Amino acid sequence: MQRIYVHPLPVRIWHWINAVGFVAMIATGIQIRYVDLVGLMSFRSAVNLHDWIGFVLIGNFFVWLLFYLFSDRIKVYHPELSPVKHFRGSFRQLQYYGYGIFKGDPNPHHVSAYHKFNPLQSMTYQIIMLLLVPLQFVTGILLWDVKGFSAAVEFFGGVRVVDTVHVLCFIFFVGFIFIHPYLASLAHTPTAHFKAMFTGYEEVEDQPVGAPPE
Amino acid sequence: MARLRKEDTATRGRFHKDFLVGIIAAFLLFSATFMTVRAADSALSEADKGCLSCHSSEGLKKDLANGETLALHVQGEAFAKSVHKAIGCAGCHGDVDLKNHPAAQDNIKSLRQYAIERAAACRQCHEDAFKQHEGSLHAARVSQGNPLAPVCTGCHGSHSVSPKTAYETCVNCHSAALGAHRKWLPNAGLHHEVVSCAACHAPAALRMIDLRLYDSAAKGWVSEKEGSPLFEKLARSMDADGNGLDAAELRNLLREINRDAIAAPRTLRGRVELRTGVEAHRLSDKTQAIKACDNCHSDGAEPFRNITVSITGPDGRPVRYRARKEVLSSVLSVESLREFYAIGGTRNKFLDVLFVLALFGGIAVPVGHMTVKWLFRKYLKRGEGR
Repeated sequence: MQRIYVHPLPVRIWHWINAVGFVAMIATGIQIRYVDLVGLMSFRSAVNLHDWIGFVLIGNFFVWLLFYLFSDRIKVYHPELSPVKHFRGSFRQLQYYGYGIFKGDPNPHHVSAYHKFNPLQSMTYQIIMLLLVPLQFVTGILLWDVKGFSAAVEFFGGVRVVDTVHVLCFIFFVGFIFIHPYLASLAHTPTAHFKAMFTGYEEVEDQPVGAPPE
Repeated sequence: MARLRKEDTATRGRFHKDFLVGIIAAFLLFSATFMTVRAADSALSEADKGCLSCHSSEGLKKDLANGETLALHVQGEAFAKSVHKAIGCAGCHGDVDLKNHPAAQDNIKSLRQYAIERAAACRQCHEDAFKQHEGSLHAARVSQGNPLAPVCTGCHGSHSVSPKTAYETCVNCHSAALGAHRKWLPNAGLHHEVVSCAACHAPAALRMIDLRLYDSAAKGWVSEKEGSPLFEKLARSMDADGNGLDAAELRNLLREINRDAIAAPRTLRGRVELRTGVEAHRLSDKTQAIKACDNCHSDGAEPFRNITVSITGPDGRPVRYRARKEVLSSVLSVESLREFYAIGGTRNKFLDVLFVLALFGGIAVPVGHMTVKWLFRKYLKRGEGR
């Protein structure tokens, strides 16, 4: 078992702030949207918390963005340009999660410092980080001050359209927040990936390919 | 000039017994101030023109014994456009006897006393509003002698009463209201725009949602043209079952309204209003006003149970047609009500279903996967052994 440095400090800080923040945003979002069904806190407290945490998360997003823009680690987000290779890799990964994992087959993806995502993760995180998260933030800011941003709200089709996009993203993240930690528990031990996101080091069995000297 | 002479003759003919009024009328017909009367000619009755022949004179006033000055000038055009044009001057000033008008003596002690006494004229027609007002904060302040507390004319004006929103009415005095609300109310500016003041400050009143037709290109409310009341007819034709517009009928109505539109489409903008304007007079102290957000921001909240779709009528008053409450939460409303949404209160049922699916799916996937792993644990051990 070899230890390789996969998660640099800014990424770990961003990740855990993001994780706690998104759980809080989902909780306050549910409270705001379903005040007649949920009684965690008052509507007004939920709105205030939702607003503040939202701004923290927007700031945090720029920690992630600036780190990757000014680091060679951005390679982890480079897309696989060959569709054949991408879909073959995705299929293998799906086959592993849906069948091979039950037989004890090895994970077809081998983690390295510049190749930490499997093909499914790579595609999912590109969509999440470059589309869904920014969309959630932009629609959230517009809803935070509908009157102040009335021209932009009108441009995007009206407040109900903006809210519907915000809620659709929220619904996606509700599902994600359960499935993401479960998939993270499917390492060689259930806590290995969680520990790695604190220490920065992943434990891998094979010799990593393309890893810089630690 | 011939027309002026004719009208002058008509005026004198009507009041030929009142020499004084006749002289004044004849004089004013040739004065500059007559221009105001002439502009309103087509709208006003002959009797009202008679009154305005004196009262349209700018600067006409009465000096009161306490040193105050009571303005007697009435803007003819404004009165001609007011909702009270139909009842004319005599509707409120029926006590004026032309034989001794203007009276040599009167008992007007002060402007304030006169304004309070004139409220009796409003009461003749607006008894229901008057009763609501009697229990209001404004009435209590009047009876306490507060000189700033408004009587009828304080909010509605006197000779230019026209339809306007509660907000337009209230901010005349409560100009600091927006700043005060910003201290505690998120999106205070938007709330002031889409929630009638009385919806919160008359807490006992029943509320509703009015969806008013808005012209995005002209940046203003769509008005019905005088003499061609198409909106109600169109809405009625869409409402096939006659029980109020449902979501599909509302969408069809908007499509029909925008059928020939080449610019930005006409949309519906919602406002929380009182079901009857009369109840807006029952204003309470601000400590009693509604502050709890879930009065509106929860599913099935009281304001969202009564819905109207409306257009601004030719006289400024809304022409309303009933809609079913489901229009607010239908998936079709993303198109037809794209400019009206209240968190919680108008939430889309389709999105609720998706949310439940995501929640249970998010839980079911890990639980299901773990279960399959547990069921196949003996194969797992064999594989790991390899």
